[in-house]
Amino acid sequence: MEFLLEILTEEMPASHVKTALEQLDEKFRGELKDAAIAVQALEALGTCRRLIVRADTAAGQEDRTSIVTGPPKSLGILPDGTFSPAARGFAKAQGIAAESLEIIQTPKGEYMGIRKVSKGESALEIFAAIVPSILASISFPKTMRWRESPFKFSRPIKNILCLFDGKILPFSLEGMDSNDSTSGHPIYSPQPLRVKNFQDYRDQLKKSKVIIDPGERREMILGQIEERLASLKARIYPDDDLLDRLNFSVEYPCVILGVFPEKYLSLPIEVLATAMREGQKLFSVVKDKKQLPCFLGVADAVKDSKSLIRNGNERVLKARLEDARFFWQQDVKKSLAERAAGLKNIVFQEKLGTYDDKSQRLKKIVSYLIEKIDAAKVKKEAIEAAGLCKADLLTEMVKEFPSLQGKMGGLYAKVEGHPAAVYQAIYEHYQPASLEDDPPSSLTGALVSLADKIDSIVGVVGVGIQVSGSSDPFGLRRNAHGVAKIILDKKLRLSFPRLIDKVLSIYGDRLSVPAGEVKTFCLDFFAGRLRFIFERQGHRYDHINAALGRGMEDIYDTSLRVKAVASLGTSPNFEPFILMARRINNILKDMPACKVNPELFLEKEERDLHSTFTIISDNIKPMIEKGDFARAQSIIFKIQPLLNAFFDKVLVMAEDKKVRQNRLGLLQAIQKLLLQVADYSRVVVEGDKTAKPGISR
Amino acid sequence: MALQDLILKLHAYWADQGCYLAPTYDLEVGAGTMTPDTFFRVLGKKPWKTAYVQPARRPTDGRYGENPHRVQKHFQYQVIMKPAPADIQKIYLQSLSSLGIVLQDHDLRFDEDDWESPTIGAWGVGWQVLLDGLEISQFTYFQQAGGIELQPVPVEITYGLERLEMFLERKDDIYDLDWSKNVTYRDLRCTEEKEFSEYNFNAADPAMLRASFQACEKEAVSLIGKGLLLPAYDMCLKCSHFFNLLDARGVVSVTERVKMIARIRAQVNEIAQRFTASGRGS
Repeated sequence: MEFLLEILTEEMPASHVKTALEQLDEKFRGELKDAAIAVQALEALGTCRRLIVRADTAAGQEDRTSIVTGPPKSLGILPDGTFSPAARGFAKAQGIAAESLEIIQTPKGEYMGIRKVSKGESALEIFAAIVPSILASISFPKTMRWRESPFKFSRPIKNILCLFDGKILPFSLEGMDSNDSTSGHPIYSPQPLRVKNFQDYRDQLKKSKVIIDPGERREMILGQIEERLASLKARIYPDDDLLDRLNFSVEYPCVILGVFPEKYLSLPIEVLATAMREGQKLFSVVKDKKQLPCFLGVADAVKDSKSLIRNGNERVLKARLEDARFFWQQDVKKSLAERAAGLKNIVFQEKLGTYDDKSQRLKKIVSYLIEKIDAAKVKKEAIEAAGLCKADLLTEMVKEFPSLQGKMGGLYAKVEGHPAAVYQAIYEHYQPASLEDDPPSSLTGALVSLADKIDSIVGVVGVGIQVSGSSDPFGLRRNAHGVAKIILDKKLRLSFPRLIDKVLSIYGDRLSVPAGEVKTFCLDFFAGRLRFIFERQGHRYDHINAALGRGMEDIYDTSLRVKAVASLGTSPNFEPFILMARRINNILKDMPACKVNPELFLEKEERDLHSTFTIISDNIKPMIEKGDFARAQSIIFKIQPLLNAFFDKVLVMAEDKKVRQNRLGLLQAIQKLLLQVADYSRVVVEGDKTAKPGISR
Repeated sequence: MALQDLILKLHAYWADQGCYLAPTYDLEVGAGTMTPDTFFRVLGKKPWKTAYVQPARRPTDGRYGENPHRVQKHFQYQVIMKPAPADIQKIYLQSLSSLGIVLQDHDLRFDEDDWESPTIGAWGVGWQVLLDGLEISQFTYFQQAGGIELQPVPVEITYGLERLEMFLERKDDIYDLDWSKNVTYRDLRCTEEKEFSEYNFNAADPAMLRASFQACEKEAVSLIGKGLLLPAYDMCLKCSHFFNLLDARGVVSVTERVKMIARIRAQVNEIAQRFTASGRGS
């Protein structure tokens, strides 16, 4: 049977509509399943003014049969075939005659009993109960009150339509009664409509200039975009977020093509696109990778027959572009270096000082990084970029369009004639801005971005700002992901704990939290973030544990270790090898360090093991240094048969103390050898029943 | 239709809706919201409907009379309805129709834009109203003012008079607007914009402004102690204006900015608390 719900509201933000529709879909499915109502179809549709749920469900719950048993048959029926007092008593308690009792087979034998059929609840009753509670439980990013009631919603609710099987499904939400009416587009067709069913609802609304299906609206928008651009042979600069936002901000889409004066094409494409997209939610139009002096907008209108919508948008955009051009002309009058002097007036964080202080630190961190990764040939450029990268915070353009920070600095640096390594670094130094965003493409950009992020992380942790659950005011997680992404992308090999030490020493006494605590926190925090990144890459949590378990000295190395361990995962010899590593660990637990003296070996097996160990150690040394852990690991693997033979034939815990300590010493050396790649004992093997997946957050 | 006709039409429309047409408040404010006709009247239970023209001063927006869209003083048409009528959106749309705008020919959008004024401890949820992409109004359901949860919920509609007039006259330059048949916006305001831009950005004496800020703040505290809440609030408005001037002079750092706003808000919240506690809003 058909269920239809429409919450008519004042205009909700696009993001609110999207999340509400997802929640409605999920909650209705969940509640109906819990209530045992079969669902043939269910969809959540909507516009900026409507949240709609349509479902086809069973008429009600299926009838349920339950069995109630009384005394066993042997006690219920007397030898003469009549009912015993026990059976009669049971029947009476159940409200039936004893003659109606049945003999029921149970695992414990035959019992006297009855089958009770309980009538299922109707879907109508169930909907009436769940709809108000589902509506009250929708969560929005921000809510409001609008009447004398504490009830909150995204925006004021105007009406609730709810039908089941063609009739009003009556319920009340905060004093509003459900009914069978709605209204069309508030400007084109505001009069009330009475609705019979979903088909009727959809058709009437369509006539009243409301397209309720987001998919259908999207197709309309894309179709009209294609039509408008056909003669230009151009296309829109793809922007799915914008398309989505526009789709959920209209009820009847009408695509408008407009133009702006060509003189504004001299503005950088970043500025043009931002002014159009962020300022006015317009698509920019490109042809052969070049910006055309045109835009496309999506109006909530039937058509623009008098071109008033087009002209209006053109006027507003022109004013914005004129402002942008003015900002550009003002900004280039002053060099970034001159501007950077003003950074001492802008606070980065109260206890961490100004952006000038930050710039000075960035120069030092970049200089350290260059030394460690042996990149002296970009030293001058990278340090210059570090000193200039924040200067664009003082430009008019960035004040107007904050999302252009970094990019504007890069563009202005280019105009000033700085070399590519400098302007690219400035341009890219906020990248990656999210998990999906690309890291900087230039090495100098990578170094400045890395320095900026690690400076923020150490500083913010160092003044005691906490990251917890949903609260991450300074974007530490995002910054940590950025650091890891850059290091992995550029394959930068450097000691991470030393880098933290360096940043701590540059901060000096600015930080209130003791340096040791900051460092421990940062290392744990990064380990957690790396775990998250590796898991996203599809690695097994226990392989990650193995790689991280031997300490995170170098982030890039750690990623190679994870890959090396993963590459062995399918080998049949892997599991015995892991078990062997654990056996060594168990034997050596709480043992003091022992020395090996080859002259004290008594058995052939221990001598063989030792000589193989020595050869392997020598062989893998250059591989470990180069980070070729996969190859090193395959060589280490070769020790396995000798270890087997050793454990078979040699008693480690020998009576003679010297012999015993010598053997323990050999095992300790092998333990260290294995740890050069990973802590294999942390890999989970068949039979580790109690193992729990690592928690990645 | 000249700008003064626009004002007259809005007055006629909102007077019909039962609004009391308040005279313009005689102190510098950054927005119509800050005047006592809004600030005190949204507190408490007593229903209230008012509409008025209020000049809004934003010293940092000065452009020496040279920018066709930005001015350091503009005019707002402010409407407060408390409680918010259930069909207030419709009432608002009709106000546009009463100006001769045929909405079916345009694209009218209620675009998410939540409003906040940290200085007077106020925030609300609502929209900027866009007409063919041009912001012509702010539409806000007040949730809080002076740090107090508002019950019933008032609605505030603020028309940007110059924006709306530019739309109606289809003009690209604010100074080309007709204020009346014989007087243009340029005649009235261009020199004022030039001189005030010079004052805001260069001539204003920061030491005098800081001293004035402190003196008014001190006076506000003392007046609150004496229970003179309306004069105390005037002092807070003066503080806010002195702060805006200091900001335009570029002598306020980010941290200082936050602190100065918090100082004003502390007094304003105190005034709102005492105002409601004494039952004056009900």
